[in-house]
Amino acid sequence: MIRAPLVKALSALGSPTHQIASRAVRTSAIVAQTPAKAPEKIEVFVDDIPVQVLPGTTVLQAAALVGVEIPRFCYHERLAVAGNCRMCLVEVEKSPKPVAACAMPVMKGWRIKTNSDLTRKAREGVMEFLLMNHPLDCPICDQGGECDLQDQAMAFGSDRSRFTDIHYTGKRAVEDKDIGPLVKTIMTRCIHCTRCVRFASEIAGVDDLGTTGRGNDMQIGTYVEKLFLTELSGNVIDLCPVGALTNKPYSFVARPWEIRKVSSIDVLDAVGSNIVVSTRTNEVLRILPRENEDVNEEWLADKSRFACDGLKRQRLIAPMVRMPNGELQAVEWEGALIAVAKALKKANGQVAGVAGQLADVEAMVALKDLINRLEGETVVTEQGFIKGSGTDVRANYLLNSTIAGLEEADAVLLVGTNPRYEAPLVNTRLRKAYVHNELQIASIGPKVDLSYEHDNLGSDPALIKDVCSGSHAFSKVLEGAKKPAIIIGADLLEREDGAAIHATIVEYCQKLKKPEWNPFNVLQNNAAQVGAYDVGYQAGADRAIKAQPKVLFLLNADAGKVTREQLPKDCFVVYIGSHGDNGASIADAVLPGAAYTEKQAIYVNTEGRPQQTLPGVSPPGMAREDWKILRAISEVVGTPLPYDTLDELRSRLEDISPHLTRLGELEPAGFNETGAQAAISKSISGVAIDVKQKELKDYFMTDAISRASPTMAKCISAVNKQQRQDEQSKQSVAI
Amino acid sequence: MSLLGRVMCLRTTSTSLQILNSTTNKNAFRCASTKDTDAPLDPKTALARPEELQQRCKLSETITVPTAVDMSPISGVPSEQLKQRRARIHLPPKHAMQSGTSNLKNWQIEFDNRERWENPLMGWASTGDPLSNLNLHFGSKDEAVTYCERNGWGWYIDAKVPKPKKQKKKSYGDNFSWNKRTRLSTK
Repeated sequence: MIRAPLVKALSALGSPTHQIASRAVRTSAIVAQTPAKAPEKIEVFVDDIPVQVLPGTTVLQAAALVGVEIPRFCYHERLAVAGNCRMCLVEVEKSPKPVAACAMPVMKGWRIKTNSDLTRKAREGVMEFLLMNHPLDCPICDQGGECDLQDQAMAFGSDRSRFTDIHYTGKRAVEDKDIGPLVKTIMTRCIHCTRCVRFASEIAGVDDLGTTGRGNDMQIGTYVEKLFLTELSGNVIDLCPVGALTNKPYSFVARPWEIRKVSSIDVLDAVGSNIVVSTRTNEVLRILPRENEDVNEEWLADKSRFACDGLKRQRLIAPMVRMPNGELQAVEWEGALIAVAKALKKANGQVAGVAGQLADVEAMVALKDLINRLEGETVVTEQGFIKGSGTDVRANYLLNSTIAGLEEADAVLLVGTNPRYEAPLVNTRLRKAYVHNELQIASIGPKVDLSYEHDNLGSDPALIKDVCSGSHAFSKVLEGAKKPAIIIGADLLEREDGAAIHATIVEYCQKLKKPEWNPFNVLQNNAAQVGAYDVGYQAGADRAIKAQPKVLFLLNADAGKVTREQLPKDCFVVYIGSHGDNGASIADAVLPGAAYTEKQAIYVNTEGRPQQTLPGVSPPGMAREDWKILRAISEVVGTPLPYDTLDELRSRLEDISPHLTRLGELEPAGFNETGAQAAISKSISGVAIDVKQKELKDYFMTDAISRASPTMAKCISAVNKQQRQDEQSKQSVAI
Repeated sequence: MSLLGRVMCLRTTSTSLQILNSTTNKNAFRCASTKDTDAPLDPKTALARPEELQQRCKLSETITVPTAVDMSPISGVPSEQLKQRRARIHLPPKHAMQSGTSNLKNWQIEFDNRERWENPLMGWASTGDPLSNLNLHFGSKDEAVTYCERNGWGWYIDAKVPKPKKQKKKSYGDNFSWNKRTRLSTK
């Protein structure tokens, strides 16, 4: 308690006055520390190359500025400085000992030598100590070939070993821990860099990992055996510089030199995380994050990383047509296309299309063009949005503050959303702002654990009006903030009174907006959603049902919003998609499509950034890329679509909306216009605000791919088991 | 393509090779002459060994070919591999599991991925795609573009304009500051 910071001690007392006092203490200290003007740069020399740096820059950062990379194990750019591995020791002229480059700020005129004899000797010594207790099991280690310790032992270590075990006591051995179905631990390999501990407590906000013991007896672990309960647990695998934490589903599967890497985009949430798909022999083996400062930094959520085994199960590999006896039977492409074309001819323009959460922009455009050519009008997304013309203005459905921008926000209100599970990598940004930018967060909705402290204002929808009229206490915070933001969950806007909630918040955001900063945000949770609105889809499967079509296309629509009962008896349902899930089960014709790792396709993320996936493997069996299927149908029906190649389709996309082909670039959406929305009534009903994903177990299965994944099923059962254990231990304490 | 056409192509390439030779000589001369000028001293150059300088000098030379050369008619690559293939010119992404960055500086070309399968004999990966193992590194994207154009492949550049990285404030003291949320609770 003595070492606990004053703020924590105060907030532990719990009374509101203490909380305010603690906030005041913190802010006053921050204000006192802020320098009045930009400090002057100082000159240092790295290997005799002069470089100008800001005061407070560490030796390691100064070296990086001139392109000199200092070896490191514990230091990580996105984590706090630990300074315990000592690998980054470098010589500084006139300093008696080598200094730890990661923790030492530079002084004026320092001459840093990153390749001198003393530096090399220091590194060699550190390496020797590390290897003394590191097992020689590289041949059976999953990290072998992509291991920092291996590489740095080669580059900086000694060429021979002085390790002779004269007493035959063996190397240090540590018991393996069981921290869940995703991360495999071989703790004997651990070199105590504490990157995983720092990741868990700083980025994930879960203080599950820690160290026990000291010196040679130090161990990393959870102290009592328990699950590492976070949606970001896979990242500790990447962070681990040795093979102590490895990928459990991928263990002993492949070697890094056997696999091919394809840069792609993740589609299991709307963040659009950049990924690298590792493949071998036409099989996706694992998915790793790819660095993109604007989107996912270098993290990846567990669902995106581990659900890739769902790409091999429940796949549709042949076209199927429902026989008169009610059973789906596999047929050749020709038969299936003719069956669909016959139904389309009979439909007389009563055709509708529903795009689901994994549909790509190309397929959606092809579907829309096909339906329009058949004189149908209804193309909608499965997920709903506000009633009326809400999707006409782009700023109405985007995360306008941008994902990277949220890092700079200083007051955030979450309305009906749980970003921790709907978009884990947006939540890490909020947490980052909470830790480093003193962000103040409040939420309207059910009480959930967001991994950082926030005020839950309650789940009464009347609170939205209170805040937006300026009468609530949190309104003062928002209005006083430099970069305020209000984030609305996309699911909330599906409600009957969604339009009223939307309009109320848009109007308030007009008051809050700053130059170059739009505080209005909608957090989408489907990868296809923004792309669909961009190409002119309307929101809500109910519109398609209301049209009572003769032929209904389900493009990856698996959420179960459309059921057989709602459709007319003679409606012919065509499902195009990759997995046998809800959509395929009600379809009359099932056309197997490609999953996101099998096609080159554009997805637009929640902030409106178009990015493209690249094919890592080819689609299984007779499955084909979705847009090609639609192109083939159009040919058979007799209204061929005017594009034969992806390039031609892309130029069609450009005609619809030019931003779609500027891959990776963010097109500013401007500000929402209130004028168009003025006619909408602003009466918000009294139904309490809720979110779908409240706990970790709700997070793992949300779409066709993750529902088919055995790893995700294991995660859910592990979380359930942990919960049962917690309850039991609570009961035993009570007795 | 007719025999005459082939011969014509060969002739044009041979002339361009001659031009190429003459430009290399010129470059070598220019490289040697830069030593005499009294420009501000670059410590990297000043401290380098003579053989290192020579090597760097060799590497810095560029070969300029005056006209666009299309090698595709004589390269022997089947025409379906030229018309249907499109090269993606990109910088390789950093490996998420390692901290080293020295393999990330060169531009690479990569073709659209085609089907691969497990060979029933040994279980190795097989492919029918002759370009899938083409792994070339270029000093700049322009070089990669020139290479693709010369070989008759379509290309596109898949790289964002790199933004200047914001330097993060790193301080060991933040772990222990009493009034900030950066204070570590576990370690």
